[in-house]
Amino acid sequence: MPGADKETDLSERIESFLSELKRCGSGAGSLRGSAETARETSALLRRITAQARWSNAGELMEIIRKEGRRMTAAQPSETTVGNMVRRVLKIIREEYARSRGSSEETDQQESLHKLLTSGGSSEDNFRQHFAHLKANVIEAINELLTELEGTTDNISMQALEHIHSNEVIMTIGRSRTVEAFLKDAARKRKFHVIVAECAPFCQGHEMATSLSKEDIETTVIPDAAIFAVMSRVNKVIIGTQTVLANGGLRALNGTHTLALAAKHHSTPLIVCAPMFKLSPQFPNEEDTFHKFVSPHEVLPFTEGEILSKVNAHCPVFDYVPPELITLFISNIGGNAPSYIYRLMSELYHPEDHEL
Amino acid sequence: MEERELVEYFRTQIGEDPDVASAVAAIRSLLEFLKRDQSETILGLRENMTQAILRLQETDSSVAVSSGGELFLRFISLTSLEHPDLSQCKNVMIERGELFLKKISLSRGKVGKLCHTFIKDGAKILTHSSSRVVLKVLENAAADHKRFTVYVTESQPDSAGELMAQKLRKLNIPVTVVLDAAVGYIMEKVDLVIVGAEGVVESGGVINKIGTYQMAVCSKAHNKPFYVVAESFKFVRLYPLNQQDVPDRFKYKADVLKTAEDLNQEHPMIDYTPPSLITLLFTDLGVLTPSAVSDELIKLYL
Repeated sequence: MPGADKETDLSERIESFLSELKRCGSGAGSLRGSAETARETSALLRRITAQARWSNAGELMEIIRKEGRRMTAAQPSETTVGNMVRRVLKIIREEYARSRGSSEETDQQESLHKLLTSGGSSEDNFRQHFAHLKANVIEAINELLTELEGTTDNISMQALEHIHSNEVIMTIGRSRTVEAFLKDAARKRKFHVIVAECAPFCQGHEMATSLSKEDIETTVIPDAAIFAVMSRVNKVIIGTQTVLANGGLRALNGTHTLALAAKHHSTPLIVCAPMFKLSPQFPNEEDTFHKFVSPHEVLPFTEGEILSKVNAHCPVFDYVPPELITLFISNIGGNAPSYIYRLMSELYHPEDHEL
Repeated sequence: MEERELVEYFRTQIGEDPDVASAVAAIRSLLEFLKRDQSETILGLRENMTQAILRLQETDSSVAVSSGGELFLRFISLTSLEHPDLSQCKNVMIERGELFLKKISLSRGKVGKLCHTFIKDGAKILTHSSSRVVLKVLENAAADHKRFTVYVTESQPDSAGELMAQKLRKLNIPVTVVLDAAVGYIMEKVDLVIVGAEGVVESGGVINKIGTYQMAVCSKAHNKPFYVVAESFKFVRLYPLNQQDVPDRFKYKADVLKTAEDLNQEHPMIDYTPPSLITLLFTDLGVLTPSAVSDELIKLYL
């Protein structure tokens, strides 16, 4: 029966996505960038909307929430998956509100104003059926996908405003966004880049090779030299894995050191992060925060004698508090860290913060 | 309803339920006043209401009563804009007022639920004076089977900290009372600081029992997170730039204001903590950074 085929096909795709997520968690950084993860998640959600059985918005949201929970449980450190699920949930709410013809609020947040003026129960349980809801939601997800494809270009377009001639820029590790950003500026300006290698995975080396191919003068330094070199640096530009709800970052191991050194020398710290990296988590929630990988890189197994006497850890991420950050550059423009709460309220609905 | 009756009603509200926030009691009394009010026009109603709020502030001069009163006045203005006819307007007002009261009595629970996830197992918490909201947060955390210890400052001149310590002991939470002067001494031991607020001002700073500012400065110096828990009806339209800017009528108790000869000789009961020292605010509208507070106020008042 065609119906059953579609369903098994759908669940197969979901299962394969989940297992890929689980697998790619190990090792240096991710085997695929967060942009690809975001794109694949959105495409999968679009497929679920198209193929799963649902009759009203409430059911669709339940299905997506359930799948979203499974996906985030598969790889908690990959926050883009959860973010995309929340974006899609917000899209569904908006399309539902539009179909109902509520000329209402673009502002669905709780506010004092709403508390005072709402009369009666404003409980909306999304149970009404609308014929065009499916088509509308799929179209909106397509728009989301187009937006995702353009993010790196949108960020790189802003490069010329921030990088000037003969500047010394410092970065750490390897970020595809920062790479594109710097390459775009290099087309018109001459500047130097210092890359901190970011042990133990040393992705800084790949970054340096890639940048020097575009004729950018690049220097690689060990992490310990960050503070020493900082006095000669004009700007620090970094990427990040996640932007947290308070404006802080969850970035590569070693970024906090870089941020503190920059603060000490009053060097501006610019973070290039596309909007899909913005997550409604706060930095105190324990389980989803840290990820540790094999300490083999830190202390190889050949050092057997020492190994039995010490504990070795190899954390992957670092927390950078919002006070150390000067500017966020995203596909929608530049923003201060204190403004992140506003961007969050535009992207996600408060009830979706907990999937 | 006469002003004397209003004050009586307010006092009974507080007496009956000591756990109720003073702003909630004020709003309840004002709603009662509204129900019994005899004016014929909306303007008359507003004038009577303003007088009533002034009387209440004379009884209890805390910031919370002031913010509750202003909120209620705003509530009337917004409703009267939609229904210019008085009798219809009054019915709508009474209905919405009851609904509003019901919602805000739930705010403390919401705040408690939001905040307790930030308390980790084994945490040492420092708090100041006696706050019912902080108590609710700690209650929720204890119910979640988290183990933590609490340090409370004595909080002179009314020793409110002792009260807080008693309430915490009843919940089987290990608690130690410390001197107000010992805040700097104890700060290196604690993991986080949680305080309540009497009022949250437009800049995102808070007005709270005297000694809070000190605690905030110490926690900043030691790099410890400083959390404020407050319900949304405590947001008030003040923008103090320093301690002197906080109006005198909030700083001292109502009877002191009436009888004192020289206010400079009296001890202030509250101080202002600027937003730069606050890490996060937990409200029933969600977890807010201090910069988000003014957004909320603008949405309401403009």
